[in-house]
Amino acid sequence: MSLNFNLGEEHVLIQDAMAKCLEPFRGRQEELKQSILVERKFPQDLWDAICATGLMGAVIPEKYGGNGMGLLSCAIGIEALAERGFGNALLVLTAMDAACILRNGTEEMKQKYLPKMASGEMKFCFGHTEPDAGSNAFRTRTFAKKDGDDYLISGQKTFITGADVADRMLLTCRTTSREACAEQGLPKAFGLALFIVDPKAPGIELRPIPTRGIEGMTQFLVHMDNVRVPASDLVGEPDMGAMALFNSLNPERILAAASACGLSKHCLDIAVKYANERAVFKERPIGAYQAISHPLAQVRIELDSVRLLTHRAAWAFDQDMNPGTVGNYSNMAKYQASELAVKAVDRAIQTLGGYGFSEEYGVIYYYEAARLLRTAPISSEMILNFVAEHDLGLPRSY
Amino acid sequence: MKIGVFLKQVPDTETKIRPAGDGSGIESGDVKWIVSPYDEFAVEAGLQLKEKSGGEVVVVSLGPARTLDAARTALAMGADRAVILDDEGFQGSDPLGTSRALAAVARKEGFDIIFCGRQAIDEDNNQVPQIVAGLLDWPHASWVNSFESEGEMATVKRPIGGGKLEVVKVRLPAVFSCTKGLNEPRYASLPGIMKAKSKPVARYTPADLELDGQVGASAAVVQLTSYQMPQARPSGRMLEGEVGDQVKELVRLLRQEAKVL
Ligand SMILES: Cc1cc2nc3c(=O)[nH]c(=O)nc-3n(C[C@H](O)[C@H](O)[C@H](O)COP(=O)(O)OP(=O)(O)OC[C@H]3O[C@@H](n4cnc5c(N)ncnc54)[C@H](O)[C@@H]3O)c2cc1C
Repeated sequence: MSLNFNLGEEHVLIQDAMAKCLEPFRGRQEELKQSILVERKFPQDLWDAICATGLMGAVIPEKYGGNGMGLLSCAIGIEALAERGFGNALLVLTAMDAACILRNGTEEMKQKYLPKMASGEMKFCFGHTEPDAGSNAFRTRTFAKKDGDDYLISGQKTFITGADVADRMLLTCRTTSREACAEQGLPKAFGLALFIVDPKAPGIELRPIPTRGIEGMTQFLVHMDNVRVPASDLVGEPDMGAMALFNSLNPERILAAASACGLSKHCLDIAVKYANERAVFKERPIGAYQAISHPLAQVRIELDSVRLLTHRAAWAFDQDMNPGTVGNYSNMAKYQASELAVKAVDRAIQTLGGYGFSEEYGVIYYYEAARLLRTAPISSEMILNFVAEHDLGLPRSY
Repeated sequence: MKIGVFLKQVPDTETKIRPAGDGSGIESGDVKWIVSPYDEFAVEAGLQLKEKSGGEVVVVSLGPARTLDAARTALAMGADRAVILDDEGFQGSDPLGTSRALAAVARKEGFDIIFCGRQAIDEDNNQVPQIVAGLLDWPHASWVNSFESEGEMATVKRPIGGGKLEVVKVRLPAVFSCTKGLNEPRYASLPGIMKAKSKPVARYTPADLELDGQVGASAAVVQLTSYQMPQARPSGRMLEGEVGDQVKELVRLLRQEAKVL
């Protein structure tokens, strides 16, 4: 009798807290939509109201200023926000970075950063992708060179979401170059390291990249030239960052999947409301036509299947199950979530007819957000590679 | 100050209520249960009073085992502990039985003040606060939408219709039933939800409260014999056309169809 599909009463309360923290913004819907979807700025007071619920403290223990409710709670909260049209990539990234610091950081580092992340005072972005290293993290070139008690970091990151509004960036670097690893016969997983860097530090230049796909945020090319970072901001050991990195990507995928569930539900709600109201032939609303209603019913069914996958992955993470299993579950959830989101937005657009493209309804903006999920934070191909290799035991082609 | 808050778990207002097949109650299968909304004002009033005057907030709820969830909501909002009356012997109480049980808890706990919702939104009886006050021989003010207290005196306002407010001064201890406008109930934050898990929950039986034979279905003087859906009302009719024609048509319909003119 240990299997139970009901959300716990505390999870229902979290959903409720999300709904209630948004209530004061009810009269500002239009302004918020304009800001988030069109100007791509997420209002600070909205961020503050969300963080006042303690959502960002879910993955952080009480000892470090959080509440320790866990990743599943965080995922449920983020889904509830996205369901109302208020997903936020920095919520996902800050939570993921907090989980990484918690599992790999020193005590001093945890004391320094986690309480501020829990309260929402500090936002974190994630600097990983490089012009020549996306799906393949081992090609990372950004280099951190030891200089006394500090490191000097140089290199380039691209597509870094929210680098302008984040207080810190979790940065993937090399502390031993790929070439040196090859020469010394070291394994390819050797030589990576994770640092916490202030994106406003001297030596960093941010150049906005005109990109679509994440509401309320801009992407940046982050150029780093001898950026001085104290060794105390190295997360884990030098050269040994690969495991810490890969394990941190699990919470990111889980929370991205949760956002996708919320986004899908948001679009489904818009579509169902419209289908109930819009009459085209006679007085019968278009929702009566099975060509309209069946695809929406399919989205509804798939939504539950993705939710279950997502909750399972988050639960496995909270249970501290081995990272391989958590990785497999996270990947499955993220893959299916991106398929769902694309379908949900597509069906919402189809249901709304021409209004599916109107900026007023906003559904068209979500198309980009949904479609992005097939490519980032990890592409669907890389997930299928992972599942084929690690779950099915098929040979690797690359 | 020992602040008592009475609350009831009720079906969510958005739940579609259906009578059970045998008419003995409602289908409880997929009902989402919530704290009765007026009771949330009471919880908030209790918490605000505690913040001002110190003391503790104790929530009391009578109902089946699931009523614990409602109490936990209040604990997550910040109440200090809960008393749950989920013993079989309390089930099926009518408003009088429920009031006896709640009043007995108030005596046992030594409450200095009690807040409750103006009515539970399931059966809308609007009786318990007044009966409890009667049993305790305390003053009460119902439908309170403004509350201030100074020492032993509370000054409250209550809407009395026509947009007017009645101002009442009440000596404590007293019972106040709360209505909309009194405050904005806070939500349960994640830290609050976490803390609620380890807050004490006490349970009393009718015997603990010396109420054997006075509560529960057997003692009920009001019995609910069956539940039915209200008859479906025919949908309204919209008249169209020029205003003048609409008026003519309306008069014709009132005469010939409704036969009220
Ligand atoms: C809007 C947006 C926001 C982003 N935000 C961030 C951010 O905040 N931080 C960050 O670090 N990055 C961010 N990214 C980058 C994103 O994570 C990468 O774009 C993504 O991981 C893919 O990497 P890539 O672009 O280098 O594609 P590539 O790795 O060059 O891949 C190109 C294509 O080839 C396929 N492919 C590659 N290898 C294989 C293989 N072995 N088998 C099959 N197919 C393969 C890929 O699936 C993909 O379809 C963002 C990107 C976008 C568009």
